[in-house]
Amino acid sequence: MTQGTHSFSVERGLNAWREEIDAPVAAFFSSCVHCGLCAQACPFFVETGDPKYTPIHKLEPMRLLWEQEFTLWGKLKKTVKDRVDTQLGRAPKPLITDEMLEEWEPLLYDSCSMCGRCSMVCPVGNDIHYMIRKAREGMVASGHSPEGLVAASVRAVNTGSPMGLQWKTLDVQIKHVETATGLEVPIDKQGADYLVLLSSMEIINFPEYLEAITKIFDHAGVSWTLSKTCFEATNAGIQIGSKDIAATLVQRVVDAAEQLQVKNVISPECGHAYTAIRWEGPNAIKRAYPFKVYHIIEVLDQLRADGRIKTEGKEMDRLSMHDPCNLARKSGVVQQQRSLMDLVASNFVDLKEHGEFQWCCGAGGGVSSNERAEPLKLAAFKRKKAQIEEVEPERMVTMCATCRTQLEEGLEEFNMDIPVVGLTEIIADHLVEKEVENKKAEES
Amino acid sequence: MATSKTLGESLRQHGVSRRGFLKFCAATASMMALPPSMAPAIAQALEKARRPSVIWLSFQECTGCTESLTRSFSPTVENLIFDVISLDYHHTLQAAAGDAAEHAREQAMNTNAGEYLVVVDGSLPGPNANPGYSTIAGISNYDMLMDTIDGAAAVVAVGTCAAFGGLPKADPNPTGAVSVQDLVKDKPVINVSGCPPVPMVITGVLAQFLTFGTLPELDEYGRPRAFFGQSIHDRCYRRPFYDKGKFAESFDDEGAKAGWCLYRLGCKGPMTYNACATMKWNGGASWPVEAGYPCLGCSEPDFWDAGGFYKALSVPTGSPGDVLLTAGAVGAAVGVGAGLMSRNQGKQAVKHHDKVTADQLEEKL
Repeated sequence: MTQGTHSFSVERGLNAWREEIDAPVAAFFSSCVHCGLCAQACPFFVETGDPKYTPIHKLEPMRLLWEQEFTLWGKLKKTVKDRVDTQLGRAPKPLITDEMLEEWEPLLYDSCSMCGRCSMVCPVGNDIHYMIRKAREGMVASGHSPEGLVAASVRAVNTGSPMGLQWKTLDVQIKHVETATGLEVPIDKQGADYLVLLSSMEIINFPEYLEAITKIFDHAGVSWTLSKTCFEATNAGIQIGSKDIAATLVQRVVDAAEQLQVKNVISPECGHAYTAIRWEGPNAIKRAYPFKVYHIIEVLDQLRADGRIKTEGKEMDRLSMHDPCNLARKSGVVQQQRSLMDLVASNFVDLKEHGEFQWCCGAGGGVSSNERAEPLKLAAFKRKKAQIEEVEPERMVTMCATCRTQLEEGLEEFNMDIPVVGLTEIIADHLVEKEVENKKAEES
Repeated sequence: MATSKTLGESLRQHGVSRRGFLKFCAATASMMALPPSMAPAIAQALEKARRPSVIWLSFQECTGCTESLTRSFSPTVENLIFDVISLDYHHTLQAAAGDAAEHAREQAMNTNAGEYLVVVDGSLPGPNANPGYSTIAGISNYDMLMDTIDGAAAVVAVGTCAAFGGLPKADPNPTGAVSVQDLVKDKPVINVSGCPPVPMVITGVLAQFLTFGTLPELDEYGRPRAFFGQSIHDRCYRRPFYDKGKFAESFDDEGAKAGWCLYRLGCKGPMTYNACATMKWNGGASWPVEAGYPCLGCSEPDFWDAGGFYKALSVPTGSPGDVLLTAGAVGAAVGVGAGLMSRNQGKQAVKHHDKVTADQLEEKL
């Protein structure tokens, strides 16, 4: 491996694609029957009606490379083309040019939240979302990745947070939480059961999350800790599509967990952070973890099932839920959040399409970090809006900070007065107070 | 001849009880797919029926059809019915010989003009063939048939030879044999095909003629639908094995012993329409498939020329050949080769991987 000796170029991008084209990709490209079903599954196509947003079309440059270099027919075609060019004494036309990649950059980044819904509907079983992730590798290496994501990646590597957040900012939040709850937030506690990670978005926009888990874990008697060296769960490398950057960021989490010798790592209310650490992580650093990875919702549901969470009272208003793609579709966490809702909601209604087949909010996969994608992000949200209008909830519940921000912004844009809350906070709000509990125990 | 006695009287004379007779009527009704309420009507009609005159002509045949119809282990109701028709002319069965025999035929034709039944077994050399291939009392088969059917009510062609030409007509057909329906155009012809036909089928057809004075409903080959309406395959007791894909591959393998489907041993059941599977043979004792032998398709036209008896219906006639095998092997080799080349390409690419760093990305900003 060479170390950043070359500048970004088409050739470097093509080499990245050659690395990424594996047996599944070859099988997928050969099996595509051009039925267009993936288009109907994509919120970006459905809400814009523009055929260029057909998911499989977003992969056309990578498909061209595969055809020319990995198929017998393509190699034959190239030989003939080269012959003709030599005969006519003209320079051969390159298959993939800078202009082409520039044209495809918005298709691969701005109009794809990597929600994976297209992969679910493909009748021949092509995992289109898997290929989009791979195609982005080539885009990064050829220098065709969006500015917003490049900046986030640089900040993530250099400062430890894609938003440039530092420990001292978090420290202020921790003090607030400790004052408000009267509880201690454990930091760098060796041998704790759980290492809790956060996302910068939560630290800035939703500090109530940290307060909520502090309360819940105290209530349930969970041994947990934060790490000063690594508090960030998100992974800009996964979003921009660079396994090198991704590996660097995952390694930090692994180092922190191993240093503190924790048994488990908890991904916060964030979608891609969870899939990054849980699924892509071991592949990125090329080894297995000595710890387990859970999403906070999985942990809370396990505590509920073990009877370690006692709640009182229920939310009386009509609540509905948005499943984050990374959690429900890509990781199969569907029932857990509903079991938790049953604990605290008396009037819960599911969106018509939910769980594995839910519609994306439109902000995932790095779309929210990409300012250029702003209009498309809002267009894709219209699908979610239509879903919400169908069941007319008074509030929406979700468990991903990006989804939550998108829902809040989108609903505000369309003047819909529907607040959005995180599931962890609702659970924390309904915990039976400790003193009350103790008193009850004494009485009996 | 003796047509004065009714069928009922004749049966009782032969010691058939009324109960046995009614059982036969009910069986006949169900066989012909008539409602059970028709059984009394059949009984009533048969009781009163006068024995009709039947002239049996045997041409290019092996006497197997006659054997099938007359062979019996005990006098069954079917045989008795057969006995009580007035069989006025039949080479094999009549006592008379020579001129007297031919005289009997002429007399029956005159006495029962327009009412008698003609039963034919065997094919006959056609009008353009050498008539010398088959003659009776110096009369060619063709002349005898045309002369006899003149005053007939209907013609029943018994056996595949009479119905479709059968063995004599099989390639290369040296005698120019034709079937009855090829020659008889102005009288109803009922084909009771089979080599030989199931005995119950011919008695059933006669019973209907006696009962209702009508001819049975026929299929596109002129066969009574009541008996030839369903394929052997659809009614075969080994059908469940076919559906499960369990086949005997030879006559002495485990599959054959376990009674699996005989399709691959050349069974023509799927394309053969006959009543063997439901009525069986020899008084309901068994039938070819039950005896472990594939159906030959003997009740179908030109069954002798329909390929080998032991060749399964959908097996290709030629061998798939080495060309196909070689093409397959070459294709597989090319595929493996291309796959290896692609894999090598991927490995080369990994070797040339240029690590993306934050510093590099920063330069872009």
